[in-house]
Amino acid sequence: MKIMVCLKQVPHQDARLDVRSDGTWIQEENIKFEINSYDTYALEEALRMKDAAGSGEVLVVSIGPDRVTQSLRTALGMGADRAVHVKDPEADAADALGAAKLLAAVAKAESPDVIFTGLMADDGNAAAVGPMLAELLGIPSTTSVMKVEKTNGSLTAERELEGGALEVVELQRPCLLAVQTGINQVRYASLKGIMAAKKKPIETRTVADLGLAGKVGTAANKVKIEKIAPPPKGKGAEMVTGATGDVVGRLVSKIKELGLL
Amino acid sequence: MGTILVIAEIQNGKIREASLELVSFARRLAGAGYGDVKSLVIGSGVQGIAEELAKQGGGEVLLADGPAFANYSVGAFGQAIRAAVAAARPSLLLLSNTPIGWDVAPRIAAGLDGAFVSDCFNLESEGGKLVCHRRVFNGKLDARVVPTAEPVIATVQPGATAAFNGTAEGKVTKLEVSLGELKSKFVATRIAEKKGVDLSKAEIIVSGGRGVGAPEKFPEVIQPLADALGGAMGASRPVVDAGWLPHEYQVGSSGQVVTPKLYIAAGISGAIQHLVGMKNSNYIIAINKDADAPIFEVANLGVVGDLFEIVPALTKAVKEAKGQA
Repeated sequence: MKIMVCLKQVPHQDARLDVRSDGTWIQEENIKFEINSYDTYALEEALRMKDAAGSGEVLVVSIGPDRVTQSLRTALGMGADRAVHVKDPEADAADALGAAKLLAAVAKAESPDVIFTGLMADDGNAAAVGPMLAELLGIPSTTSVMKVEKTNGSLTAERELEGGALEVVELQRPCLLAVQTGINQVRYASLKGIMAAKKKPIETRTVADLGLAGKVGTAANKVKIEKIAPPPKGKGAEMVTGATGDVVGRLVSKIKELGLL
Repeated sequence: MGTILVIAEIQNGKIREASLELVSFARRLAGAGYGDVKSLVIGSGVQGIAEELAKQGGGEVLLADGPAFANYSVGAFGQAIRAAVAAARPSLLLLSNTPIGWDVAPRIAAGLDGAFVSDCFNLESEGGKLVCHRRVFNGKLDARVVPTAEPVIATVQPGATAAFNGTAEGKVTKLEVSLGELKSKFVATRIAEKKGVDLSKAEIIVSGGRGVGAPEKFPEVIQPLADALGGAMGASRPVVDAGWLPHEYQVGSSGQVVTPKLYIAAGISGAIQHLVGMKNSNYIIAINKDADAPIFEVANLGVVGDLFEIVPALTKAVKEAKGQA
């Protein structure tokens, strides 16, 4: 059983987000990056599926600059077997559909039985690449997955709807699952795992290697971010400042005013 | 110039409110010269619902009606949308960012090699050019996104605009859908069981987020304040995802939607999915170390500071006020 997991490296959840000078993305210099939170759950689910099967391979794939190697090493340390790093400035510049085309090219060469992605990424929040990748491969997909069970030739998945409802879906393999956070408890890489990861291969691919030169990247993109900015400030909260004692005094008098104390 | 195709959803036997919001956007864009409006209704035995939509501003309503559409599945609904696209040749497809929309829309976009923009909170036409507005970085930044190819496939946040409530002339046209081989199927829906905590009845809720930092801090810091106020404890999604508290404590779009008299958010930055679950509370107090946290946009009273200092001090003061200390 071969399982492919798509990982995106994103700015750390606590990173300071400053808009860069051209106004179209954030300043990426001198901030910390990490594996997209949704993707850590996707990787964990893949590792569990391989463990349950008793054999197989977990392949992690990521698109991005040199710094992405660190995230791939982390994934290998957690137990993934191999990594493919699509490293090419044109790949970095690709929109969601471009990224899906690159991943589809990797998947076609690898023929995985199951592909895991996160539901969305913590930076762009597009929730696009997973289902797009499945469409390009002609395989079934489902999203916001909270549970996966393997049966002969197919998979049964539970997906999260609104207001606590769940939908049970059966998918023929090969298939793609875009997982929701909280589906499992994500493991940490053990020291032994980290040591073993140093010997595991990270293969690199360029856009041309994947046969997509000129078809993916800046010129091929179909959407363009013209500007990002902090949301306009609304009326917002009345801010209470001062020493803890004063702040607490103000809060208590407000709660009294509401008739709740 | 072209056709705007609204992919409508049915909920509880009628057109979903979010779909009528799409009609609002579509008619506004059409009025600004973007094109004409058509809709698609997918379901089983839903001719009457399609006729309603035709009168509710949906324009020509294409109808994919058949037992294969009784429940949502990405394969069957995808085929219905592809058939509607072949019939209407839209330059813009609108879907809601709902469990159906986010499941099928990216597939449609990839299949059409189109421009995909998801979870927009506004769509406008600037001299016939479509401009999409959406949030990125979990609500911390707004992005202005411009499609550079057609067709455009956009999903829209439910509640982004008022539902269209006028009437208009429309008609229903039956659509033939070839289902082909379906590789996934609907099995069942079920409601996750609710145990213990029913936050919907609490008058006061004290919720903790990722900023609380560790599972043991909930009984040590958050629960005592909830107890002192005679309220209940809640949590944001990351807390539940990390396994610090069970799902029944979760406030937000995938947890409980609450409207207490007082909501205190401690160490919660305010991701959209949390705000949806608590923004209609009567009064909101937010405590967070990051002055730019989106939670302060919906709060009435905000404190920038260390929750581990403020919450215990507040607990003590509340107890004193009640004569319990």
